Amino acid sequence: MSTNKREILNEVEKLAVKGIKDKVAIIGCDATKYGELWDKGREDLLFEATQGALKDAGIKKEEIEAAWAGIYYYFTGMSGATVEDILRLDGIPITRVENYCASGMDAFRNACFGVVSGAYDVVLACGVEKLMDEGSSGLPGFKIFGHPVLPLPSAPAMFSMAATRCFHEFGWTKEDLARVAVKNHDNGSYHPKAHFRSKITIEQAMKAPMIADPLGRFDCCAMSDGAASLILTRPDLAESYAHADDYIVVKSNQISVRTNFPWYVPPNGPGADFTSFPSTVKAAKMAYKEAGISNPRKEIEAAEVHDCFTITELINDQDLQFCDRGMAAEELKNGTFNWDGETAINPSGGLKSFGHPIGSTGCRMLQEITKQLQGRAEGRQVPDAKIGLCHNLGGAFSVASVTILGQRD
Amino acid sequence: MIGIKSYGAYLPKYLMPRELIAKAWDFPAVPGTKAIASVDEDSLTMAVEAGLDCLSGIDPKSIDGLYFASTTQVYTEKDSASFIATVLDMREDIITIDFTDSLKAATTALARAMDTIKANKDISSILIIASDTREAEPATMYEFGYADGAAALLVSEGENLPIVIDDYYSISANVTGPWKRAKEDSFVRTFEAKMDNQFYTQSITRVMSEIMKRNNLNPEDIDVAAYYYNNPRTHGRISKRMKFNQGVAQNGLFFQVGDLGTPMSFMLLVSAMKRPKEEAKIILAGFGDGADAILMHVQDRRALRELSKNHMGIAGHQKSMTTLKNYNVYIESKKLLEKDRYVRKSSAVTLWRDTLTVYKMYGNRCKSCGTVQYPSTFRSCIVCRADDQMELVKLALKGKIFTYTLDHLVGGTYLNTPVPRCVIDLDGGGRVLLNMTEIENPEDNVKIGMEVELTFRKEHEGADFKNYYWKCRPIRGRF
Repeated sequence: MSTNKREILNEVEKLAVKGIKDKVAIIGCDATKYGELWDKGREDLLFEATQGALKDAGIKKEEIEAAWAGIYYYFTGMSGATVEDILRLDGIPITRVENYCASGMDAFRNACFGVVSGAYDVVLACGVEKLMDEGSSGLPGFKIFGHPVLPLPSAPAMFSMAATRCFHEFGWTKEDLARVAVKNHDNGSYHPKAHFRSKITIEQAMKAPMIADPLGRFDCCAMSDGAASLILTRPDLAESYAHADDYIVVKSNQISVRTNFPWYVPPNGPGADFTSFPSTVKAAKMAYKEAGISNPRKEIEAAEVHDCFTITELINDQDLQFCDRGMAAEELKNGTFNWDGETAINPSGGLKSFGHPIGSTGCRMLQEITKQLQGRAEGRQVPDAKIGLCHNLGGAFSVASVTILGQRD
Repeated sequence: MIGIKSYGAYLPKYLMPRELIAKAWDFPAVPGTKAIASVDEDSLTMAVEAGLDCLSGIDPKSIDGLYFASTTQVYTEKDSASFIATVLDMREDIITIDFTDSLKAATTALARAMDTIKANKDISSILIIASDTREAEPATMYEFGYADGAAALLVSEGENLPIVIDDYYSISANVTGPWKRAKEDSFVRTFEAKMDNQFYTQSITRVMSEIMKRNNLNPEDIDVAAYYYNNPRTHGRISKRMKFNQGVAQNGLFFQVGDLGTPMSFMLLVSAMKRPKEEAKIILAGFGDGADAILMHVQDRRALRELSKNHMGIAGHQKSMTTLKNYNVYIESKKLLEKDRYVRKSSAVTLWRDTLTVYKMYGNRCKSCGTVQYPSTFRSCIVCRADDQMELVKLALKGKIFTYTLDHLVGGTYLNTPVPRCVIDLDGGGRVLLNMTEIENPEDNVKIGMEVELTFRKEHEGADFKNYYWKCRPIRGRF
């Protein structure tokens, strides 16, 4: 390549819209109560979350110019039309986003791009899932997903295979897993909207019936209904809305997508060791670079980390660089990840106790961290939270999304 | 010369003690055990097992045909033989035929294989597999006898064959029973068992006597008589009537494994071939609406001993068989309990398109980085990301567990759980995910590093047809 051409390319790189750091502001957000909400349909859930977000932003729904909605299951709703029926947005563009458990955070990513591109000033990012109508034992759909005969393990089974390997490699035990559950139930007990609000003991967690050996019932997150919504705009416009003084700024947002089938990755392939999620590693690396974070453990005060299963949180803690490889169980035991520890992991209670309505979770995490950074997390406020992180991991370790949020200048 | 080049057998993992059947129905105690297929087995999967055993050390692509014999074929309109040939990775330009509806189907298929090879210069070897999973009506005497198993013989033209086939002879007879109506019956029926027994005795005796007469043989010339039987007493009577020497009539199997149906005569032959006499004269006979007798002799004792070393045969399977401890497991494995079964979405077209991956267990080797990977359907390398650099490779049916879980949730419900889901590094490359079958106390017995074998099993009946795939099992010793 000629020097001239390289110079031109360097120039282009400087000018190009690379990344979204400091280009999007969150000006309103809310989530419904999560839980087994038998008496509420997806219509109530998304309506209530969005009404809450609009009220928080102090705007009318007519100001929303475009919307993206994280909906995982077809039975919760297909297409953006599901959102239109619930919110009646008068024909604006609405897109359903599906990317496993990162569906909600990917909807948020698309909404960010809508703002950053200059196409829209005010947009809605939301997520909703109505799981309970399909019954409460295990994720539905496993009889219709995928290949007719190639084995499709249940979600707990997928992550159990990682637990088996971590026990083997790091010497972790059932008790180490139980500590994740105990911490998250403890955190959740302070959150009025969490699905489960009771504390548990290590003994309780360890004695629970097996779901997928070595993961027992308390190692698995709840199956819940719920919705969450966020209103986004450009930071310069955010000055004229209700949260002019404390709107939250998106520092980075990255996703990484890997195989659906980690069990087929040959021993020399990415993620073959089952003790790390290469999608989380890559998304985190990109997100930290975009946000300019060099020491996540020191710089991030509060993080909502995907803990669909206890083992998932421990591995993600490592992959997100909150601690060294193999050390997550030890660090957790030492209190590093407690609500008042060095990095508060899942101060909301996490998926484990807050609940996990798939398509909604990413947006729920984002509104949670927004409130933490705004000092509005009543009863569960992480002291001096200035930079926060949200992370999802979906599928069979397939899709990871990392969003870093910060306070306005 | 045409003869038997190789043999194989399959006996399922579990033995049912007849005592438990007697106890279940307050019948007088009956001694012995019988072999019982697992819930994920049928005549087709057992045929694959016997075929794999028979073809140990033999290139499946070198064989020109597959004849399948059974009274319990899984489809009435759809060939089993062509399906089994696919799973065994045989060529497509071969002949495949199902021989069904009669317990003598195995011996009939063997005789027809002789005819085919004699008549066609392009066909020099045919694999014959007999397999049956006959269900006896609970609380009848048949429940003590009917058992499950499969056997295979590779018939081939050539010199230096271990066993040479000299002659065959058949008779036809419209017997009084047993029968099973195509639509109406779940179980084999009979009108008058004594009359059936008389027909059986007459047919078997006549067909063996005739073939001896045709070949100027006296009873004392016969070294091995492997004839179908379902009743040890009648078996002894026939031996006496035939004036066979002591030990000639093979009677070792019924007591331990039961009445195997069509594969019974082949199994008796296989069991007799462990310690062959030089030049031993053998009569193989099958019965069912008539009878077949096939006359053979041992040509190469050394080759026969080699076969017994490199094939599981009967003894190889018997080593790893386990006795069931309760009748419920048996009745469940026979699907005689009304119970919800795991069914999932399926597509015959997907399964057909994925034949190489799903049925033949092929993977890819990336020509760019050399990594062997599974399934063979992906065209871009997961390691070096090279596009369209894949060459097909047949994966080994053996490997070691890298990681696993015991899954209590199957398709969102708790059915026959826990299922061990095992990530396995196959010998020679390729990492796969397979469910484990036939494992007792998985909590204690499944481990990282454990060696496993692949076994072809029934998965579910989604889309109203039989969906098969491979599972893994603890090592039974297949070569």
